[in-house]
Amino acid sequence: MEIGSRSDVGRMRGNNEDCCKVVPELNLAVLSDGMGGEAHGEVASQMAVEGVSDHCQEWVNDPEAPLASEARSDLSEHTNRLISGIRKANGRIFETAKQNPTHRGMGATVVAVWVNEQRMSLAHVGDSRAYLLRSGELQQLTADHSLVAEQVRRGIITQQQADESENASVLLRALGIEEDVQVDADEHLLMEGDIVLVCSDGLTRMVTEPEIASTLLTHPGAQSAADRLVELANEYGGADNITVILMRMPTSPDGLLVRLWRWLMKPL
Amino acid sequence: MAKLVLKFEQSVLKEVAISDRPVTIGRLPDNDIQIDNLAVSSHHARVFKDVNNVVVEDLNSLNGTFVNNQRITKTTLKTGDAILIGKHHIELQESAAGEQVAPAAPKAAAPKIEETVMLDSKRRKELLEAALAAQAAAGGGQVPTAAPSATPSAAKAAAPSAAPRAKVPSLVVTKGSTDQKEYLLSGRLTVIGKSDMATVKIKGFFARLFAPDVAAQINKRDDGYYVAKAGQTPKVNGNPITGPTKLNEGDTIEVSGLILNFVFRD
Repeated sequence: MEIGSRSDVGRMRGNNEDCCKVVPELNLAVLSDGMGGEAHGEVASQMAVEGVSDHCQEWVNDPEAPLASEARSDLSEHTNRLISGIRKANGRIFETAKQNPTHRGMGATVVAVWVNEQRMSLAHVGDSRAYLLRSGELQQLTADHSLVAEQVRRGIITQQQADESENASVLLRALGIEEDVQVDADEHLLMEGDIVLVCSDGLTRMVTEPEIASTLLTHPGAQSAADRLVELANEYGGADNITVILMRMPTSPDGLLVRLWRWLMKPL
Repeated sequence: MAKLVLKFEQSVLKEVAISDRPVTIGRLPDNDIQIDNLAVSSHHARVFKDVNNVVVEDLNSLNGTFVNNQRITKTTLKTGDAILIGKHHIELQESAAGEQVAPAAPKAAAPKIEETVMLDSKRRKELLEAALAAQAAAGGGQVPTAAPSATPSAAKAAAPSAAPRAKVPSLVVTKGSTDQKEYLLSGRLTVIGKSDMATVKIKGFFARLFAPDVAAQINKRDDGYYVAKAGQTPKVNGNPITGPTKLNEGDTIEVSGLILNFVFRD
């Protein structure tokens, strides 16, 4: 896959507490948005991305490497690895915050994507998001673990009220806050030409989804699209750190003979 | 004791008691009542006590401050009056005897705009339980089932409607050559194709010659199983699908020379 990524402090924050890591050989990407203020956020987000990617890499090197949590039978090995890596990172962040008074209260969101051939494993905690762009349409793949999103899901408030709410940044789930954490996970089949976007809320709070979609459609290169999205977020104010990872499925034309054969066999 | 109640449509967003300090209203976070909306000026209006009266004063806002549908610069409020700023209402109410309403908190304690905070678990439970109770009282919607945990949950029911025993969906191969005769759909994603990573692997020299790596897919969602196209468009009960299609007991899926029957097993 073609992968591009960019992380930027934005225009209003003193430091960048977002973190992202891409392992191109594995088609693995992890993003984390740290919180806690006074620079603890970046400790948490770094622990999150390193923890998950190390855990996955460890299994690739050694298929016998144990999972850190019980496997879910409805998910693949790759997806279970992501969940286990996230739960392990959560434990480490929690312990670190407990042991160090200066780090007390630090936490982080996380989104991890791992593509194995055409199967995409997706796992997340928090309100950083993953989207799929297919046939010109942008679809959000993750459910935000924020208070307002939960209220919308339960029909208590409307989406517009959620967007205007002063509680828009309040999270219900994050890494490092409790000893264990509930991870949402899913699997998707990727097709030729699909684009997966992973981003922190610093992008989606500044740039609308239609604009994100059109930027992706007009910038064919993954890195140039990532750069342009960050630029756009800053143009609109850059109120928070902005991090973006883009993964593009290749379009692989079949060999001529196979295509000819298929065309001949079509009426069957 | 008088209080200001910030509302959007019918939802109460915040309550602030009126003490001796004026209560400021505006878009920026340094206001006591922050309304984060572009129609609201950075410092839009303020409410204060003047002897025995509660007075609202517009602070030269762009879109104006309205009381009882009239644009005002400064006016006295009676209990029950509502101030309209943008699309938000701020009502003047009397708090019940013994009711504790916090006066506007000192600015330093208010969370900054956009800064992410985690709701502590006790408060989170309270909020969600209250919301759940409100929803149940309103007789509304479907209570979401517990979010997936990491423990294996083979018995988890697929449909939210009252299914007495967990039934596991299955694909039975009635035509075509595959690596198994039947497949229990235990995963969230089931892939049909000739690729090694397919769940339902297409066998046979000629079938594989013109079958795509991935022909079709079945996705498990909260409300059931959906079949969708991949390299080819499958037919359900003889009709080519136009998008992800929910599968019902007994449906047949036809793709890449295979015919599969979708059934539930106990």
